[in-house]
Amino acid sequence: MTFRQFAYRNVIRNHRVYAAFFMSSVSSVMVFFIYSMLMFHPKVEDEFLREIAFQGMFVAEVVLVLFMMFFLFYSMRAFLEARSKEFGLLMHLGMEKRQLNKLVLLETMIIGTAAIIFGIVFGYAFAKFFFMIVREILQIDSLPLYFSWEPFALTIGTFTSLFVIISFISVMFIRDRDVIDLLKGYWRNEQTASYSLWRAILGLLLLVVSYALASSTTQERLIFLSAILPPLAALGTYLFFTDSLQWLMSFVRARKRWYWHKYQLLTVSEVSVIMRENARMFFISCMVSTLAFLALGTLISMSTFTHQFHRLNPLGLVYSSKIDNPFEEAHINSLTKELEDKGLSYHLNKFTVKRQTSSSTQKPVKIVRQSDINRLALVFGYPVVNLEQGGAIFLAYSEKSLEELKTKKVWTVLQENSIPLFINSVYPRVLFSPTELGTNVIVINDDDFNLIDEAMVGANAAQSTNHIFVFHVPQWTATKDIGLELDSMMTEAYMNEHSEELPFYFENSGLDYSFIRSTFALLLFIGLLAASVFFLASGSFIYFKLYTGLERDKLQFNALRRMGITDRELRKIVNRQLIPQFFLPWGLAMLHSTFAFMSLQAFWQGIAELSILKEILIVLGAITCVQVFYFYLIRWRYLSHIR
Amino acid sequence: MSILKIDEVTKVYEGKVTHRALNQLSFEVEKGDFLAVMGPSGSGKTTLLNVVSTIDSPTSGEITVDGIKPHELKKNELAYFRRRQLGFVFQDFNLLPMLTVEENMVLPLTLDNMNVEKMEERVQSVSEQLGIQSILGKRPNEISGGQAQKTAIGRALIHKPSLILADEPTGNLDSNSSRDVLELLGRINKKERTTIVMVTHDPIAASYCDRVLFIKDGEYFNEIYKDDHRQTFFQRILNVLSLLGGHVGDFSTVRLP
Repeated sequence: MTFRQFAYRNVIRNHRVYAAFFMSSVSSVMVFFIYSMLMFHPKVEDEFLREIAFQGMFVAEVVLVLFMMFFLFYSMRAFLEARSKEFGLLMHLGMEKRQLNKLVLLETMIIGTAAIIFGIVFGYAFAKFFFMIVREILQIDSLPLYFSWEPFALTIGTFTSLFVIISFISVMFIRDRDVIDLLKGYWRNEQTASYSLWRAILGLLLLVVSYALASSTTQERLIFLSAILPPLAALGTYLFFTDSLQWLMSFVRARKRWYWHKYQLLTVSEVSVIMRENARMFFISCMVSTLAFLALGTLISMSTFTHQFHRLNPLGLVYSSKIDNPFEEAHINSLTKELEDKGLSYHLNKFTVKRQTSSSTQKPVKIVRQSDINRLALVFGYPVVNLEQGGAIFLAYSEKSLEELKTKKVWTVLQENSIPLFINSVYPRVLFSPTELGTNVIVINDDDFNLIDEAMVGANAAQSTNHIFVFHVPQWTATKDIGLELDSMMTEAYMNEHSEELPFYFENSGLDYSFIRSTFALLLFIGLLAASVFFLASGSFIYFKLYTGLERDKLQFNALRRMGITDRELRKIVNRQLIPQFFLPWGLAMLHSTFAFMSLQAFWQGIAELSILKEILIVLGAITCVQVFYFYLIRWRYLSHIR
Repeated sequence: MSILKIDEVTKVYEGKVTHRALNQLSFEVEKGDFLAVMGPSGSGKTTLLNVVSTIDSPTSGEITVDGIKPHELKKNELAYFRRRQLGFVFQDFNLLPMLTVEENMVLPLTLDNMNVEKMEERVQSVSEQLGIQSILGKRPNEISGGQAQKTAIGRALIHKPSLILADEPTGNLDSNSSRDVLELLGRINKKERTTIVMVTHDPIAASYCDRVLFIKDGEYFNEIYKDDHRQTFFQRILNVLSLLGGHVGDFSTVRLP
């Protein structure tokens, strides 16, 4: 038997031990490969999302590789610890440490190579299927399977180096031990679960502060908070697992009435040791889960997004121009031409919007003519407005404002022209988004409208009157390539902060929608990737840890059984030891994402007034189900080993 | 009154090679006895202890502990029986590493859901008896082997069991600690009238007992009772051991005075 054969047989005959490790490796290689396939896809690169897609996928791959590195490192170490008796024996028989390193390296490479090969084969096999899903999401015409060396090279290169690095690092842990310690077997370092009080308090404080900030997010502070919250919460989580948890446990321990009750004594002390030992891994689990939850939750909300987005932005293209805009005609003509070239049907409506000061609020109000609204209403099949002179109704900009304005009745005078108005109702549908027409809009009778000829105070005639061109396009999602020129002009003006000087404003809800969709799609990649690998990996990690401690646990449970523990009590003890391992990082991640969603909600309110609560609950529920299933699976394995 | 009664107990391990570990073994232990069971390797000592401690059941024969026939009990009742009637002292202590000495000792009581004041009282009196009050807050890895075994004895005593079973309690201890532990067991036996059954290889350890029972190949071989001098008792134990007919190498840890 050669040395290589020895290594090979070690792996093959220990396959039960390696199975979970192997599976997680294969799945991560597979996901990574599929991802690389997408990243290097010739079609994706030049047709869709361009730069941003590439970068997003790149970020996701980096996250994946980092997570895999931690995962591989931790599980390798757990493995080597579990096998320390075996290593001790080999060294006792005269194996050099150099040879031992070589053995571990060889074994890791055998598993690694197999995982890479299987991962790539499965990845290539599923790539087409995955492409089909992605094609649906991104609404690309076709996304064919292709063959190119790049994804293969990237995957093989990344994971080979990952496995080599990991095996070198993990071998260092055996090297430092004496043969006698190895032979005695891995006995966990049973130091008192120590913690520092100020770190413990700081951890809890950071969490509370970041939750408080997240739940009180307003749109103005969103940018600032999104920069400061993640690191704050991450640090808090880390300290929570390393110190705060131990601190809280010490409270439990101090209360003997509770602590010295039934098997609490056993479970509490055991759990606190487990938590302390694996604090870092739990921290990583928790953060990655949070990320995955967030990504998945955001994604799910996409399904309602299409519907809601359209209801809130019913107009296809909106071109608003100041009255002295010299390009008005040219722009409108080019838009119509583009629409015709694309073969899209449309209705063009022209609005005149005047600005006046309302006496009741002393604020500017935008005024629209009833006949303009009615023409648009006819196109949509919405109810028609019929106002007397002196009558007016509000025009709501969102569902929420619609509710609020329903019961509002206001007497007011348009100050510049002294036109008295009684606003007693609201138009029952949302027509314009706030960016298109602002938030304070009323509709009045045509005769009243014609009486307005004095410009608003503090503004010239050109500033107080706007023309708005509304293109209603039934196939509104197909307009994303229309008016790209205008869009880039606007972007440029905004970048240079000249937006005030720009004589027009152009909004293309098809383009906005496709832009938001792509952002979502990007999150889908990251979310699915992180989540799927994470599911397997975190469960497997707990499995390894249990496997490592199996011998010790067997002894312990044997002693306990002699002391008179019933089977039911044993099961309960195991339950209580396993549940925190499974559900504490999980629960904290849930809490994190709940608060993160709260601040996200503020963001959504800003752009689309979208409620994502229901979707989020569904996602969290589904993920919890998977986790519970995993918990029972692993508990079953563990119990059958222990007995 | 006999607290433990072994009646014609036979234990056969079925398998590829059938092995008869105990063969029609009978003896009785009176209340307040301090009994050592000796015998060469493979004589069935550990099997006997397992059968008595109810984690293994005899193939035939009957065991009675304090009037209860544990092998007729249901699984859960059996666990409760072990919890309340038996105390164990193991060769490798089997203390739980994450618990302090005090917590290790109260463990059997917490399982039985006793109230905290009573538990503290018990810990107080038992630790005084064992002389380990000073280490109550320490963890098993911070104390010596002798202290660990004393803790284990405390754990076995704390629920006032009717029978204490000890499996080579001095097997992992140096001679000083051994003496300490054995004298302690003897003292407890005298003072509290606790019945102790100890399985051992070591004639010195056996010489601390009131009575030594020898078994060979799973069968009763002989028994001797203590006399006034431990030295002569020890000598007599050695004599029986040599009669046991094993090879010299069998009494592995014999230390002649």
